[in-house]
Amino acid sequence: MKEMFKIVGVLTSVCIICAFFLSFANSTTKVKIELNAKTKIENAIAILAPATSSIKKVAFDGGTLYQLSNNQKKLLGFAFLAQGQGYQGLIKILTVINPSLGKLEGIEIVESVETPGLGAKIIEEGFKSQFQNLNVSDKILCIKDDLSQNNQIKAITGATVSSMAVANILNKKIAKLREMLRSK
Amino acid sequence: MKDFLKGLWKEHPVFRQLLGMCPLLAVTTSVINGISMGLAVVFVLFFSSLVVALIKKIVPHQVRIAVYTVIIATFVTIVDIFLKAQLPDISRSLGPYIPLIIVNCIILGRCEAFASKHTLKRSLLDALGMGLGFSWGLLLLGAIRELFGTGTILGVTIMPKIYNPLIIMILPAGAFLVLGFLIAIMNKIEQSQEKK
Amino acid sequence: MKDLVLIFISTLLINNLVLSYFLGICPFLGVSGKIESAFGMGMAVTFVMTLATSIGWLIYNLILVRFDLLFLEYVVFILVIAALVQIVEMFIRKYSSALYQSLGIYLPLITTNCAILGVALFMVTRNYKFLEAVVFGFSGGLGFSLVLLIMAGIRQDLEFADIPRVFKGAPLTLITAGLLALIFMGFSGLVSS
Repeated sequence: MKEMFKIVGVLTSVCIICAFFLSFANSTTKVKIELNAKTKIENAIAILAPATSSIKKVAFDGGTLYQLSNNQKKLLGFAFLAQGQGYQGLIKILTVINPSLGKLEGIEIVESVETPGLGAKIIEEGFKSQFQNLNVSDKILCIKDDLSQNNQIKAITGATVSSMAVANILNKKIAKLREMLRSK
Repeated sequence: MKDFLKGLWKEHPVFRQLLGMCPLLAVTTSVINGISMGLAVVFVLFFSSLVVALIKKIVPHQVRIAVYTVIIATFVTIVDIFLKAQLPDISRSLGPYIPLIIVNCIILGRCEAFASKHTLKRSLLDALGMGLGFSWGLLLLGAIRELFGTGTILGVTIMPKIYNPLIIMILPAGAFLVLGFLIAIMNKIEQSQEKK
Repeated sequence: MKDLVLIFISTLLINNLVLSYFLGICPFLGVSGKIESAFGMGMAVTFVMTLATSIGWLIYNLILVRFDLLFLEYVVFILVIAALVQIVEMFIRKYSSALYQSLGIYLPLITTNCAILGVALFMVTRNYKFLEAVVFGFSGGLGFSLVLLIMAGIRQDLEFADIPRVFKGAPLTLITAGLLALIFMGFSGLVSS
């Protein structure tokens, strides 16, 4: 019985001490981590919509929708984080779309762990720039041949899955945004 | 001193004992990833060995593994939080393989097999040796895969322009193949040493 | 339903835990020598993995998220897995000696199997819902068993092959695994969401 108490006692106290240390480590770094995420998003918005001077946040689909406006209080568009499964893991895309939800201002890949040399090319300008001024009134189509319509993007050779994933993640999120704005 | 040196070659955790394969293969797509992973493992291994060597007398035998794992998990979480706060880019590219250090057999193996049985000083030397041994393994594999897979080292282009990168080196399949050949080479070196 | 089938197929074949995330390599190299032991290990892992994702999901979403204790995630997951393995071992030793004889010796090894912790962590980063997480855990375990069995089959045939001495053992196993990973890459076009 005494042995039993010792086992439980040691295990519990080790857990409590560890939890204590972790909560300390957590509280000292929490602010910095949140700040990192925030600057990353704000930097991306500054690149994609340089005229932005004020950002208003509203809740949207379990995340945040950033309403961007310029210094004359004119709505420039919306920015949001869209995320989904890529080939290797999660892809997080910061997207800026115009106020009528008809075309994209551009995208920035905030997080991805795609295969280096193949899928990782989604973070390169050559792929990302295709989304500038892309028509999204219809679904974005990711194709392997030459482009013929203004809602199409060209898939990266050897990384069709990653390219399609980006298009699908955006399509889903844009549909949700449209639904939310319509219901308002 | 022997405790330190054995981890670097004779009982090398990767090439001799085949431990810690999972992070070794997964993060070595580039040199920088390999180095960061190596340093993270050295840190966790060193401090876990320290704590285990200090508390070994008061931990009951039956729950020792559980206690060691909790201690290791604590240090890993600290590394993870630190990377997220200070080096967010590295934290992102290592992704889930940082928390997976918890189940890296090198760390639990050294805590159980060495730190729980030896003095504090020897345990720390052993931990440093094993950690650095693991790190150079990561570095070597990362360098080979980055050089042949993308033609760069640490992001700087090394290979001449006409070199066409072998993408397979960066893919999972390449990781297995390179490590297989490396271990064969290590075996060969050992054989020729024995003959002398 | 379609999502669940997609998760199942992609975890089983396309994003196989062993061949594309390198999870569970230690048992993969260790117990893939014989088909019987590979089968036992595979079943034990599948069983624990399914349970671990379900219970891990509940604890994560109902306790850690609610009380803002996310920094305890790793410690909690590893304790859940360790406790689960212990309970499963005690349970089957008491109620099914046949099952215990076939799975028993593999159970203690599972606590330090990175595939289980890996699946639990992936389930969190991918924001799976409860059912999705359970299917993910189950198919992850099946995928692990599948590759383990294939590997064991190949290695049994290779046992008497005449290869250079320096390649015997680990190097040959790793190279075989590399070729297997190449083959599995062929599945990547199977689901184009």
